[in-house]
Amino acid sequence: MNPPAFEYFAPTGIDEVIDILAKYPGEAKILAGGQSLIPLLKARISSIPYLVSLSEVKGLSYVDEGKEGVRIGAMTVDSDIENSELIRKKFPVLHDATEQLADPLVRNVGTIGGNLSHADPANDLPAVMIALDARISVQGRNGLREIKARDFFLDTFTTALEAEEVLTEVTIPFWGKRSGGAYVKFKKNTWNFSVAAVAVQLELEGNKCTRANIATTSVSAKSGRMESAEKILAGKELTHEVISKAASEVAASAQPTSDPYGTEDYKREILKRITREAIRKALSRAGEN
Amino acid sequence: MELSEKLVRGEGRFVDDIQMPGMLYLGFARSQYARAKILKISGAQLTHKEVNFEVVEVGEGATTGGPAALSHPVLANGHVGYVGQPVAAVYSDDRYVAEDLIDSVEIEYEPMKAIVDPEDSLKREVMYPGVKSNAIVDRYFGKEFTPDPSDIVIERKIINRRIATNPIEPRGIVAAYDGHKLTVWVSTQSAHSIKGGLSEALKMEPDRIRVVQVDTGGAFGLKGGLFPEYVVACYLAMKERRPVKWIETRREHLLASRPGRGVVANLKLYAKKDGTITGLKGEVIVDNGAFTGGSGEFSPMFIARQLAGAYYLPNAYVRAVSVLTNKAPQGPYRGAGRPEAMYFIERLMDGLADKLKMDPVALRLINAAKETYTSPLGMQVEKSRQFLESAIKELNYEKYRDRENVGFAFLILYHATAGGESARIKVENGRLKVWTGGNAHGQRHDIFIKTLLKEELGVPEDIVDVLKGDTDQLEDGVGAWGSRSSMVLSSAVIVAAGKIKEQIGKKHGKYTLKALLEGKWDEYEFFKYDKTESSLGANLVTVDMDSYGRVIVKECLSYYDIGRILDLDNAKGQNAGGAVQGIGQTLSEELAFDEDGLPLITSISDAGVLSADLVPKFGIKFHKSESPLPSKAKGIGEAPTIGVPIALSRAIEKATGKLIVETPIRPEYLLPEEKA
Repeated sequence: MNPPAFEYFAPTGIDEVIDILAKYPGEAKILAGGQSLIPLLKARISSIPYLVSLSEVKGLSYVDEGKEGVRIGAMTVDSDIENSELIRKKFPVLHDATEQLADPLVRNVGTIGGNLSHADPANDLPAVMIALDARISVQGRNGLREIKARDFFLDTFTTALEAEEVLTEVTIPFWGKRSGGAYVKFKKNTWNFSVAAVAVQLELEGNKCTRANIATTSVSAKSGRMESAEKILAGKELTHEVISKAASEVAASAQPTSDPYGTEDYKREILKRITREAIRKALSRAGEN
Repeated sequence: MELSEKLVRGEGRFVDDIQMPGMLYLGFARSQYARAKILKISGAQLTHKEVNFEVVEVGEGATTGGPAALSHPVLANGHVGYVGQPVAAVYSDDRYVAEDLIDSVEIEYEPMKAIVDPEDSLKREVMYPGVKSNAIVDRYFGKEFTPDPSDIVIERKIINRRIATNPIEPRGIVAAYDGHKLTVWVSTQSAHSIKGGLSEALKMEPDRIRVVQVDTGGAFGLKGGLFPEYVVACYLAMKERRPVKWIETRREHLLASRPGRGVVANLKLYAKKDGTITGLKGEVIVDNGAFTGGSGEFSPMFIARQLAGAYYLPNAYVRAVSVLTNKAPQGPYRGAGRPEAMYFIERLMDGLADKLKMDPVALRLINAAKETYTSPLGMQVEKSRQFLESAIKELNYEKYRDRENVGFAFLILYHATAGGESARIKVENGRLKVWTGGNAHGQRHDIFIKTLLKEELGVPEDIVDVLKGDTDQLEDGVGAWGSRSSMVLSSAVIVAAGKIKEQIGKKHGKYTLKALLEGKWDEYEFFKYDKTESSLGANLVTVDMDSYGRVIVKECLSYYDIGRILDLDNAKGQNAGGAVQGIGQTLSEELAFDEDGLPLITSISDAGVLSADLVPKFGIKFHKSESPLPSKAKGIGEAPTIGVPIALSRAIEKATGKLIVETPIRPEYLLPEEKA
């Protein structure tokens, strides 16, 4: 368990972080919580010549309520999100996900910025942020820009971040009063990746669903919205039939692959069932508001 | 301080804790292919050209004299037979550089079509030129018989897939050479096995080799063996006259150690309509891997011989086969053939009960051996009916039967007592030092050794030092596996203590503790024992299923005959640990391969080892029928890995109505259909 040699930087300011990234384009990588990166280095699956730690940059760990939404700093650890009353109340889908993310040891160190930037399709937070219509703030040489979560994940381990950019903040906009969400994750052993997981966020008006976002984990090359399924929900009363139809559509649009966690068909079937569960849970939470 | 306390406090000294000046770190470039010719190797420091030794089988299930063409070269000799096989070695005095050097070795291959499935192997071309068949063992046990045409027949294909042994501490060795003597510190179940194996592999006189066992963090059968990496480490230490360290990574462990199980059985069980079994026919096929050097030559025979279970089986005719496949050599894993054999016969018994619409436990009672006899397959089956009657009562089977999804296992555990064991007791300066041929690698040998010495010699525990295996301190020895320590090792300690007592008696007229501690005594005993002892056991497991087909193990109860209990906590710990492994084997542990023989499991997170949240409530009760050995004890180590998969599989069958004939049970198989 001895990684290939790398140079380690621990700058104190974001500008300095960006300077180092710019100096070694494509060869430098941000070290946030390290819960994915360090194992990759230890097993020599990756070799990264320059590691830029964010641990000394102050002010990147917070969960703040603003006028239009909640802002979360890139270095906020998963357990701080899990334990946030604000998140539990406003965005139960995110609470669900952080509560089930890996194990407590990982959650105490792993960060939201790392989870999103790493863009592992088995990571839980990409699907949640897509479902919540979150915006991701990234800072680079040309200043700050915002990327919609739904546009952020390009492929497995690939995001819209440029080589010299760093993710600094996530903004989750408030949803309407009668909204709610849920994240349902299916895994076998605690330390397994999920077989499948799904994030659902809904908004209701009267007895109709006016807005529906669905995104998945572990069943495609990247987390992305399931738009065809969302259309089945939008504008309708979420009857048993409508929910089942949308869940089947999610299962049909996913692209799982057979592996020791299960066959492709099995994963689709699991995804269908957990999607139904997630929609029902989201609906009941939205209805309570 | 007790060993277990020391380890829990972080005060253990494991092989990777050893630091020596001038130490070299060894690394291996390994095969990326399951089956290929090697065309060219560049950038390596050691290859087969220089290091042309072969692995020697030692430890549980070791056999010698297999076909020479199949011996495992320590570094690949022109071809590779499995992904992870060591091809070339590199080293450096910097551990990081050694790892970098592995990446810089370039190997050109000419890939060949891999042989992956053991049954397919029998139909395929031979793996090596000059080998007659891919079956390296092909023998029959028992006698051909003609079943009564009116008999009921249960026919099943039953599979226990390969699993990694996965001790917390992987394999590892440090070797040093002073120009005459080679000294080895190793994580092992047997210092003497390693010494014997090294002496044979390196063609060195045994007295020029000293092997010391360091604290060992789990072994489960694996670490009785000698491995290619160990031989290369010793060679390099002698070549460079510098200490050499090699520590296995988890990835290497999953690819290239000696996985267990990997057995397919095609069996027919015959019975009368009243449930009395009349005969067994069929075959047992072991997935040996690409070379000898593990236990694949031994295990098909060991499995076949045990297939009567604890029952009276009048007729049997079983073919025992071990076949070449493009995988790492199969090795012993906690039970090493015992869990497979009992799984096969017990799954057949449950199948028979279903066919006859009988209670499976009632069926077992009908067939339990009323008297001790030798089965047609060759093993002595002890009389088991009375034990089963008490097991049914003690495990409260009647209570569970009507209320829960319950599975019941009835097992016989054959102890590896044959071969005996050694012990040495040295008394000096008022303290006792004890060395034994087998040693703790996760158990608590020190506790029961001190208990026995207190009984035999009246010495308080705190003046006894139980030391680890050291071939310079102990003339000979066997090792710790197969439930043997509580039986033959403890007996060696008792006999050695008796010898000292006798000497004191002769010298002082009678034995006194004062005479013992004021004198100087040194007694070595090799307790000889040729017989394979056995003990009976039963398990009861209850489960529930969630709506996704996930198994919730509720209760896991054991009732084992362990004779005299030497250390209750140790026995309970053995039960819990073994049961967790049994559940893992049944539900999730597997070393899976694709059709090209490429391993699909290369990380511990995917290996299916149970996480703590899935561990059920355990209960254990003991049946105490004393063994004929001086210690009066019987073994327990393998009992739960034998019984739990059987009882758990049956409980899942009850809960789902689906036939369970494979471990691990694949998740898609258990996914319930949705009600429309």
